[in-house]
Amino acid sequence: MQVDWQTFWPRIVEATGETIFMVIATLILGSILGISIGLLLFVTRKGNILENQLVSMLLNLLINFIRPIPFIIFLVAISPLTRALIGTTIGTWAAVFPMTIAASFGIARVVENNLISIDPGVIEAAKAMGASPFQIIFTVLIPEALGPLILGLTFITVSLIDFSAMAGTVGGGGLGHVAMTYGYQRFDGSVMIVTVVLLILLVQLAQWLGNTLSRKFLRR
Amino acid sequence: MKKLQVLLLAVLSVLVLAACSGNAAGKDGKTVKVGVTGTDGQVWDIVVKLAKEEGIDVELVEFQDYTLPNQALANGEIDLNSFQHIAFLSEFTKQGGLDLVPIGATVIAPMGVYSEKYENIADIPDGSKIAIPDDPSNQARALRLLETAGLIELADDFGLFGDPSKITSNPKNLDIYAIVAQQTPRVLPDVAASVINNGVAGQAGFDTANDPIYLEDANDESVRPYINVFAARAEDAANETYLKLVEIYHHKDVIAAVKEDTNGGSLVVDLTQDEILQAYKELGE
Repeated sequence: MQVDWQTFWPRIVEATGETIFMVIATLILGSILGISIGLLLFVTRKGNILENQLVSMLLNLLINFIRPIPFIIFLVAISPLTRALIGTTIGTWAAVFPMTIAASFGIARVVENNLISIDPGVIEAAKAMGASPFQIIFTVLIPEALGPLILGLTFITVSLIDFSAMAGTVGGGGLGHVAMTYGYQRFDGSVMIVTVVLLILLVQLAQWLGNTLSRKFLRR
Repeated sequence: MKKLQVLLLAVLSVLVLAACSGNAAGKDGKTVKVGVTGTDGQVWDIVVKLAKEEGIDVELVEFQDYTLPNQALANGEIDLNSFQHIAFLSEFTKQGGLDLVPIGATVIAPMGVYSEKYENIADIPDGSKIAIPDDPSNQARALRLLETAGLIELADDFGLFGDPSKITSNPKNLDIYAIVAQQTPRVLPDVAASVINNGVAGQAGFDTANDPIYLEDANDESVRPYINVFAARAEDAANETYLKLVEIYHHKDVIAAVKEDTNGGSLVVDLTQDEILQAYKELGE
């Protein structure tokens, strides 16, 4: 019943690679989508540079609609869309798609929150100098928020590692799936310990990277 | 006046209850307690009725989990149980050190290969994706089925819980994905075929008798571990009353009831006590 560690290590290495791939791919795609949605959320807020109550309301509604759905249910619910876009619902890319969608809504909220904390005086000053909304977004909002944003993305990355464990159940593989099928289901404590230690190491690495990067970009 | 009525009723019910228990006690020698995990459907009703005609009183004792029926049997609280396949019994007795044996076959719920694209399992092309359940027992059973179908070959030490790393020959270079059992029907559009266990396929709305393109053959030796059995304490292996009950389970009315209850998904298996015992002993080694 227990795994044979002499032959099991390559599996662990492969699974670690799958987890890292899923998380990084999701982080890149989810950031592009999430930062865009987050910016849109912020600028369309009441009293902001591109105030638009309809867009703001719809976006808020969408985010609050998607975010509470348990990820494992979301994964299955979205599978027809995954099949239409990726061509399949099994494999690593098929896991990246629902992870990206779920992550971008989380990232959008983080981005919005970071932008709200920017001193409105800075935006007013830019406006007074005649900057267009487009210029304000790229020369004021993004640079001002970049430091905290990196920390926010780091926070998201850690939950992505958790998401990737569930994504494994649809054939995406990864450490979480190994922990479930060889550790949990087969009552093999050694597999659970090894996978959990690796996951903790990944989280530590992500946090360290995030902290280092944010320090570079924090305007203090 | 009302009080008198209540009193009368109470006395009457006590008398009736006493009569009932007296009746059961009278035939105590022939009341067989059978531990089961579900009595829905008509199968057990028919078994009880047929047994009664043979002079055997059967009392069904229902359990809510899969651990207690074996422990209750080992402790002598029940006489037989019928809820598990040989592989489960073997694992259980090995781990718990209980002296239980299978004394007769009941049913098998064959696992099937399903496909939306191919009618014949031999038509599955090179490099196809195949989905199988990822829990240890069903995963091994699914791989064994693919081996029987001639798609792959498995190592000699594959056992009851082997995984895809024990595939020794894969001439079609099939890509085998182990996924959560409930996903195996859902991914059918994305794979050449899925191996789906009987219960999950039934819940997903399949006709488990006719939809599979390839189905476990109840007579194949590799399927023996998954045949459900009546289990008894080892010292009762030759108990005539119990063996009579096994025989009753193979009555044509029971066979028809099993078929009807499960929509043709489960089949009553005809194997001798020796064959069942041998399969059990092989697993114990």
